[in-house]
Amino acid sequence: MRRDLQEILCCPVCHGDLDLAVITEDEVEVLEGTLHCRACGIDYPIEDGIPNLLPPGEGAF
Amino acid sequence: MTDDELKRMVRKSYGEIARSGGSCCGPSGCGCESAPVQDEISRRLGYADEDLQAVPAGANLGLGCGNPIALASLQPGETVLDLGSGAGFDCFLAAGRVGPDGRVIGVDMTAEMLSRARENARAGGYANVEFRLGEIEHLPVADGSVDVIVSNCVINLAPDKARVFREAFRVLKPGGRLMISDTVLLRPLPDGVRQSVGAYVGCLSGAIGRQDYLDLVRDAGFHEVRILGESPMTLDCMTNDPTARAIMTDMNLPPGLVAGLGEFIASIQLSATKPERRGSASSPSFSVCD
Repeated sequence: MRRDLQEILCCPVCHGDLDLAVITEDEVEVLEGTLHCRACGIDYPIEDGIPNLLPPGEGAF
Repeated sequence: MTDDELKRMVRKSYGEIARSGGSCCGPSGCGCESAPVQDEISRRLGYADEDLQAVPAGANLGLGCGNPIALASLQPGETVLDLGSGAGFDCFLAAGRVGPDGRVIGVDMTAEMLSRARENARAGGYANVEFRLGEIEHLPVADGSVDVIVSNCVINLAPDKARVFREAFRVLKPGGRLMISDTVLLRPLPDGVRQSVGAYVGCLSGAIGRQDYLDLVRDAGFHEVRILGESPMTLDCMTNDPTARAIMTDMNLPPGLVAGLGEFIASIQLSATKPERRGSASSPSFSVCD
Protein backbone atom coordinates (compact mmCIF):
# COMPACT_ATOMS: atom_id res chain seq x y z
CA MET A 1 0.00 0.00 0.00
CA ARG A 2 1.48 3.30 -1.03
CA ARG A 3 1.22 6.10 1.49
CA ASP A 4 -0.12 8.61 -1.01
CA LEU A 5 -3.22 6.48 -1.51
CA GLN A 6 -4.07 6.46 2.18
CA GLU A 7 -6.00 9.70 1.82
CA ILE A 8 -8.95 8.04 0.13
CA LEU A 9 -9.07 5.05 2.48
CA CYS A 10 -11.62 4.92 5.26
CA CYS A 11 -13.03 2.54 7.81
CA PRO A 12 -15.53 0.23 6.09
CA VAL A 13 -17.78 0.35 9.15
CA CYS A 14 -17.98 4.05 10.11
CA HIS A 15 -16.24 5.65 7.09
CA GLY A 16 -13.92 7.50 9.45
CA ASP A 17 -10.23 8.24 8.92
CA LEU A 18 -7.62 5.57 9.56
CA ASP A 19 -4.26 6.01 11.30
CA LEU A 20 -1.35 4.20 9.67
CA ALA A 21 1.23 2.33 11.75
CA VAL A 22 4.10 0.94 9.69
CA ILE A 23 5.98 -2.25 10.61
CA THR A 24 7.92 -2.69 7.38
CA GLU A 25 8.08 -0.73 4.16
CA ASP A 26 10.32 -0.49 1.15
CA GLU A 27 11.04 2.53 -1.05
CA VAL A 28 7.68 2.15 -2.77
CA GLU A 29 5.08 1.12 -0.24
CA VAL A 30 4.07 -0.13 3.18
CA LEU A 31 4.42 -3.90 3.28
CA GLU A 32 3.32 -4.76 6.82
CA GLY A 33 1.46 -2.63 9.33
CA THR A 34 -1.95 -1.65 10.58
CA LEU A 35 -4.63 0.88 9.82
CA HIS A 36 -6.41 1.89 13.01
CA CYS A 37 -9.89 3.35 13.22
CA ARG A 38 -10.07 5.56 16.27
CA ALA A 39 -13.86 5.72 16.25
CA CYS A 40 -14.42 1.96 16.11
CA GLY A 41 -11.23 0.91 17.88
CA ILE A 42 -10.49 -1.60 15.11
CA ASP A 43 -7.04 -2.46 13.73
CA TYR A 44 -7.05 -3.44 10.06
CA PRO A 45 -3.86 -5.33 9.17
CA ILE A 46 -1.67 -4.65 6.15
CA GLU A 47 -0.09 -7.90 5.00
CA ASP A 48 2.17 -8.34 1.99
CA GLY A 49 1.27 -4.81 0.93
CA ILE A 50 -2.48 -5.44 0.88
CA PRO A 51 -4.68 -3.70 3.47
CA ASN A 52 -7.31 -6.04 4.87
CA LEU A 53 -10.34 -3.78 5.12
CA LEU A 54 -12.98 -6.46 5.39
CA PRO A 55 -15.53 -5.57 8.07
CA PRO A 56 -14.81 -7.30 11.41
CA GLY A 57 -15.96 -10.90 11.39
CA GLU A 58 -15.34 -11.21 7.66
CA GLY A 59 -11.59 -10.91 7.65
CA ALA A 60 -10.33 -14.37 8.54
CA PHE A 61 -8.11 -15.75 5.84
CA MET B 1 -28.50 -20.15 3.16
CA THR B 2 -27.77 -16.86 4.94
CA ASP B 3 -26.07 -13.86 3.34
CA ASP B 4 -22.89 -14.55 5.31
CA GLU B 5 -22.88 -18.19 4.22
CA LEU B 6 -23.30 -17.11 0.62
CA LYS B 7 -20.38 -14.69 0.91
CA ARG B 8 -18.17 -17.38 2.40
CA MET B 9 -19.12 -19.74 -0.42
CA VAL B 10 -18.36 -17.12 -3.07
CA ARG B 11 -15.03 -16.27 -1.41
CA LYS B 12 -14.05 -19.93 -1.14
CA SER B 13 -14.96 -20.70 -4.73
CA TYR B 14 -13.14 -17.73 -6.19
CA GLY B 15 -10.17 -18.45 -3.94
CA GLU B 16 -9.98 -21.88 -5.52
CA ILE B 17 -10.18 -20.34 -8.99
CA ALA B 18 -7.33 -17.95 -8.11
CA ARG B 19 -5.16 -20.80 -6.84
CA SER B 20 -5.92 -22.97 -9.83
CA GLY B 21 -4.61 -20.32 -12.20
CA GLY B 22 -7.71 -19.63 -14.20
CA SER B 23 -11.32 -20.31 -14.70
CA CYS B 24 -11.22 -23.09 -17.25
CA CYS B 25 -8.82 -25.49 -15.66
CA GLY B 26 -10.25 -25.24 -12.19
CA PRO B 27 -10.21 -27.75 -9.38
CA SER B 28 -12.20 -30.16 -11.49
CA GLY B 29 -9.65 -29.96 -14.31
CA CYS B 30 -10.84 -29.97 -17.86
CA GLY B 31 -7.51 -30.72 -19.48
CA CYS B 32 -7.46 -27.75 -21.81
CA GLU B 33 -4.93 -24.97 -22.14
CA SER B 34 -6.31 -22.16 -20.02
CA ALA B 35 -4.90 -18.88 -21.33
CA PRO B 36 -6.03 -19.22 -24.97
CA VAL B 37 -9.52 -20.14 -23.80
CA GLN B 38 -9.70 -17.11 -21.50
CA ASP B 39 -8.38 -14.80 -24.18
CA GLU B 40 -10.90 -16.12 -26.70
CA ILE B 41 -13.75 -15.55 -24.23
CA SER B 42 -12.49 -12.02 -23.60
CA ARG B 43 -12.26 -11.31 -27.33
CA ARG B 44 -15.86 -12.33 -27.73
CA LEU B 45 -16.81 -10.00 -24.87
CA GLY B 46 -15.40 -7.05 -26.79
CA TYR B 47 -11.83 -6.71 -25.53
CA ALA B 48 -9.24 -5.87 -28.18
CA ASP B 49 -6.22 -8.05 -28.86
CA GLU B 50 -3.99 -5.17 -27.77
CA ASP B 51 -5.81 -5.13 -24.40
CA LEU B 52 -5.22 -8.84 -23.90
CA GLN B 53 -1.57 -8.45 -24.74
CA ALA B 54 -1.16 -5.35 -22.55
CA VAL B 55 -1.81 -7.05 -19.21
CA PRO B 56 0.52 -9.36 -17.29
CA ALA B 57 0.08 -13.06 -17.97
CA GLY B 58 -2.32 -14.50 -15.43
CA ALA B 59 -4.34 -11.32 -14.92
CA ASN B 60 -7.15 -12.45 -17.20
CA LEU B 61 -9.02 -15.34 -15.60
CA GLY B 62 -11.81 -15.21 -18.17
CA LEU B 63 -14.44 -14.65 -15.49
CA GLY B 64 -16.23 -11.43 -16.43
CA CYS B 65 -19.11 -10.42 -18.63
CA GLY B 66 -16.81 -7.88 -20.29
CA ASN B 67 -16.64 -4.16 -19.62
CA PRO B 68 -14.82 -2.65 -22.62
CA ILE B 69 -17.15 0.36 -22.97
CA ALA B 70 -16.36 1.47 -19.43
CA LEU B 71 -12.64 1.16 -20.03
CA ALA B 72 -12.89 3.14 -23.25
CA SER B 73 -14.57 6.03 -21.39
CA LEU B 74 -11.72 6.59 -18.93
CA GLN B 75 -9.77 9.84 -19.14
CA PRO B 76 -6.18 10.61 -18.13
CA GLY B 77 -5.90 11.64 -14.49
CA GLU B 78 -9.10 9.99 -13.29
CA THR B 79 -9.40 7.95 -10.10
CA VAL B 80 -11.05 4.60 -10.84
CA LEU B 81 -12.47 2.06 -8.39
CA ASP B 82 -13.00 -1.53 -9.55
CA LEU B 83 -15.59 -3.44 -7.50
CA GLY B 84 -14.56 -7.08 -7.41
CA SER B 85 -11.22 -6.65 -9.13
CA GLY B 86 -10.22 -10.33 -9.09
CA ALA B 87 -6.76 -10.91 -10.54
CA GLY B 88 -6.66 -7.33 -11.79
CA PHE B 89 -7.38 -7.63 -15.53
CA ASP B 90 -9.64 -4.56 -15.83
CA CYS B 91 -7.54 -2.62 -13.30
CA PHE B 92 -4.45 -2.97 -15.44
CA LEU B 93 -6.30 -1.94 -18.59
CA ALA B 94 -7.78 1.03 -16.70
CA ALA B 95 -4.32 1.98 -15.40
CA GLY B 96 -3.07 2.41 -18.94
CA ARG B 97 -5.97 4.68 -19.80
CA VAL B 98 -5.85 6.99 -16.76
CA GLY B 99 -2.07 7.27 -17.07
CA PRO B 100 0.52 8.24 -14.47
CA ASP B 101 -1.60 11.10 -13.09
CA GLY B 102 -4.57 8.82 -12.51
CA ARG B 103 -4.97 5.92 -10.15
CA VAL B 104 -6.87 2.68 -10.00
CA ILE B 105 -8.05 0.93 -6.85
CA GLY B 106 -9.27 -2.63 -6.93
CA VAL B 107 -11.43 -4.01 -4.09
CA ASP B 108 -12.02 -7.73 -3.76
CA MET B 109 -13.06 -9.89 -0.81
CA THR B 110 -10.98 -12.90 -1.87
CA ALA B 111 -7.45 -12.80 -0.45
CA GLU B 112 -6.11 -15.32 -2.98
CA MET B 113 -7.36 -13.18 -5.86
CA LEU B 114 -5.67 -10.08 -4.41
CA SER B 115 -2.38 -11.93 -3.97
CA ARG B 116 -2.49 -12.83 -7.64
CA ALA B 117 -3.44 -9.28 -8.55
CA ARG B 118 -0.52 -7.91 -6.57
CA GLU B 119 1.90 -10.34 -8.18
CA ASN B 120 0.54 -9.29 -11.55
CA ALA B 121 0.99 -5.61 -10.65
CA ARG B 122 4.59 -6.25 -9.68
CA ALA B 123 5.23 -8.23 -12.86
CA GLY B 124 3.73 -5.48 -14.99
CA GLY B 125 5.43 -2.62 -13.12
CA TYR B 126 2.15 -0.76 -12.50
CA ALA B 127 2.75 2.24 -10.25
CA ASN B 128 -0.80 3.59 -10.28
CA VAL B 129 -2.76 0.47 -9.26
CA GLU B 130 -3.54 -0.54 -5.68
CA PHE B 131 -5.56 -3.39 -4.26
CA ARG B 132 -7.50 -3.70 -1.02
CA LEU B 133 -9.18 -6.60 0.64
CA GLY B 134 -12.72 -5.42 1.24
CA GLU B 135 -16.40 -5.92 0.63
CA ILE B 136 -18.28 -4.03 -2.01
CA GLU B 137 -21.19 -3.63 0.43
CA HIS B 138 -18.82 -1.91 2.91
CA LEU B 139 -16.36 -0.01 0.73
CA PRO B 140 -13.21 1.12 2.56
CA VAL B 141 -13.14 4.26 0.43
CA ALA B 142 -13.78 7.85 1.52
CA ASP B 143 -16.88 9.81 0.49
CA GLY B 144 -16.70 11.65 -2.81
CA SER B 145 -13.21 10.47 -3.74
CA VAL B 146 -13.66 8.54 -7.00
CA ASP B 147 -14.32 9.68 -10.59
CA VAL B 148 -15.42 6.37 -12.08
CA ILE B 149 -16.60 3.06 -10.66
CA VAL B 150 -16.17 0.02 -12.87
CA SER B 151 -17.25 -3.53 -12.11
CA ASN B 152 -17.30 -6.57 -14.31
CA CYS B 153 -19.83 -9.28 -13.54
CA VAL B 154 -19.54 -9.05 -9.75
CA ILE B 155 -22.50 -7.20 -8.24
CA ASN B 156 -24.80 -10.14 -9.00
CA LEU B 157 -22.78 -12.05 -6.38
CA ALA B 158 -23.59 -9.56 -3.61
CA PRO B 159 -26.50 -10.59 -1.39
CA ASP B 160 -27.38 -6.91 -0.71
CA LYS B 161 -27.18 -5.23 -4.11
CA ALA B 162 -29.05 -2.10 -2.97
CA ARG B 163 -26.31 -1.48 -0.45
CA VAL B 164 -23.61 -1.93 -3.10
CA PHE B 165 -25.19 0.82 -5.21
CA ARG B 166 -25.60 3.12 -2.18
CA GLU B 167 -21.95 2.62 -1.37
CA ALA B 168 -20.96 3.29 -4.99
CA PHE B 169 -22.96 6.53 -4.86
CA ARG B 170 -21.31 7.57 -1.61
CA VAL B 171 -17.72 7.18 -2.80
CA LEU B 172 -18.23 8.84 -6.19
CA LYS B 173 -17.50 12.53 -6.61
CA PRO B 174 -20.45 14.68 -7.71
CA GLY B 175 -20.62 14.19 -11.48
CA GLY B 176 -18.83 10.85 -11.14
CA ARG B 177 -20.02 7.88 -13.13
CA LEU B 178 -20.88 4.26 -12.64
CA MET B 179 -19.81 2.11 -15.62
CA ILE B 180 -20.52 -1.53 -14.94
CA SER B 181 -21.32 -4.82 -16.58
CA ASP B 182 -23.31 -7.55 -14.92
CA THR B 183 -25.69 -10.42 -15.45
CA VAL B 184 -29.44 -9.88 -15.22
CA LEU B 185 -32.34 -12.28 -15.56
CA LEU B 186 -34.68 -12.04 -18.51
CA ARG B 187 -37.13 -14.40 -16.81
CA PRO B 188 -37.16 -16.43 -13.59
CA LEU B 189 -34.72 -19.33 -13.41
CA PRO B 190 -35.97 -22.89 -13.01
CA ASP B 191 -36.22 -23.83 -9.33
CA GLY B 192 -33.40 -26.38 -9.44
CA VAL B 193 -30.97 -23.83 -10.84
CA ARG B 194 -32.11 -20.99 -8.58
CA GLN B 195 -31.38 -23.03 -5.47
CA SER B 196 -27.95 -24.20 -6.59
CA VAL B 197 -24.93 -22.70 -4.84
CA GLY B 198 -22.88 -23.55 -7.91
CA ALA B 199 -25.27 -21.51 -10.00
CA TYR B 200 -24.95 -18.63 -7.55
CA VAL B 201 -21.18 -18.60 -7.70
CA GLY B 202 -21.33 -18.97 -11.48
CA CYS B 203 -23.16 -15.61 -11.76
CA LEU B 204 -26.55 -17.18 -12.44
CA SER B 205 -28.83 -17.47 -9.46
CA GLY B 206 -27.69 -14.31 -7.67
CA ALA B 207 -28.77 -12.28 -10.69
CA ILE B 208 -31.99 -10.28 -10.49
CA GLY B 209 -34.40 -9.06 -13.17
CA ARG B 210 -33.22 -6.31 -15.48
CA GLN B 211 -35.87 -3.79 -14.39
CA ASP B 212 -35.27 -4.54 -10.71
CA TYR B 213 -31.56 -3.95 -11.31
CA LEU B 214 -32.16 -0.56 -12.94
CA ASP B 215 -34.56 0.40 -10.13
CA LEU B 216 -31.90 -0.35 -7.49
CA VAL B 217 -29.41 1.89 -9.31
CA ARG B 218 -31.95 4.73 -9.49
CA ASP B 219 -33.04 4.23 -5.88
CA ALA B 220 -29.43 4.76 -4.79
CA GLY B 221 -29.67 8.28 -6.24
CA PHE B 222 -28.08 7.82 -9.65
CA HIS B 223 -29.31 9.78 -12.66
CA GLU B 224 -28.99 9.06 -16.39
CA VAL B 225 -29.21 5.31 -15.83
CA ARG B 226 -28.69 3.73 -19.25
CA ILE B 227 -28.09 0.30 -20.68
CA LEU B 228 -25.30 0.77 -23.24
CA GLY B 229 -25.20 -2.80 -24.40
CA GLU B 230 -26.98 -6.06 -23.82
CA SER B 231 -26.18 -9.52 -25.08
CA PRO B 232 -27.30 -13.03 -24.30
CA MET B 233 -25.01 -14.70 -21.79
CA THR B 234 -23.56 -17.50 -23.80
CA LEU B 235 -23.44 -20.79 -22.04
CA ASP B 236 -19.78 -21.49 -22.67
CA CYS B 237 -18.84 -18.24 -20.92
CA MET B 238 -20.89 -19.15 -17.87
CA THR B 239 -19.73 -22.69 -17.71
CA ASN B 240 -16.11 -21.72 -18.13
CA ASP B 241 -16.27 -21.17 -14.40
CA PRO B 242 -15.61 -24.52 -12.71
CA THR B 243 -18.16 -23.83 -10.02
CA ALA B 244 -20.81 -23.20 -12.63
CA ARG B 245 -19.80 -26.45 -14.28
CA ALA B 246 -20.97 -28.10 -11.08
CA ILE B 247 -24.50 -27.21 -12.10
CA MET B 248 -24.26 -29.73 -14.89
CA THR B 249 -22.24 -32.41 -13.21
CA ASP B 250 -23.43 -32.34 -9.60
CA MET B 251 -27.04 -31.48 -10.12
CA ASN B 252 -27.68 -33.89 -12.96
CA LEU B 253 -29.74 -31.33 -14.79
CA PRO B 254 -31.05 -32.56 -18.11
CA PRO B 255 -28.87 -31.38 -21.02
CA GLY B 256 -31.86 -29.63 -22.57
CA LEU B 257 -32.33 -27.44 -19.50
CA VAL B 258 -28.64 -26.58 -19.30
CA ALA B 259 -28.54 -25.69 -22.99
CA GLY B 260 -31.56 -23.45 -22.51
CA LEU B 261 -30.14 -21.43 -19.62
CA GLY B 262 -28.78 -18.83 -22.01
CA GLU B 263 -32.35 -17.71 -22.67
CA PHE B 264 -32.80 -16.80 -19.03
CA ILE B 265 -29.87 -14.50 -18.54
CA ALA B 266 -28.22 -11.56 -20.28
CA SER B 267 -25.06 -9.56 -19.84
CA ILE B 268 -25.68 -5.80 -19.68
CA GLN B 269 -23.34 -2.84 -19.75
CA LEU B 270 -24.78 0.03 -17.77
CA SER B 271 -23.84 3.66 -17.17
CA ALA B 272 -25.22 6.05 -14.56
CA THR B 273 -24.18 9.41 -13.12
CA LYS B 274 -24.07 10.87 -9.64
CA PRO B 275 -25.70 14.29 -9.98
CA GLU B 276 -23.52 17.35 -9.54
CA ARG B 277 -25.85 18.53 -6.82
CA ARG B 278 -27.65 16.34 -4.40
CA GLY B 279 -31.25 15.85 -5.55
CA SER B 280 -34.15 16.01 -3.15
CA ALA B 281 -36.53 13.07 -3.27
CA SER B 282 -34.15 10.34 -4.30
CA SER B 283 -31.07 11.62 -2.57
CA PRO B 284 -29.51 8.99 -0.37
CA SER B 285 -28.58 10.01 3.11
CA PHE B 286 -25.41 8.94 4.82
CA SER B 287 -27.43 6.34 6.66
CA VAL B 288 -25.50 3.63 4.84
CA CYS B 289 -23.47 3.38 8.04
CA ASP B 290 -24.57 0.66 10.37
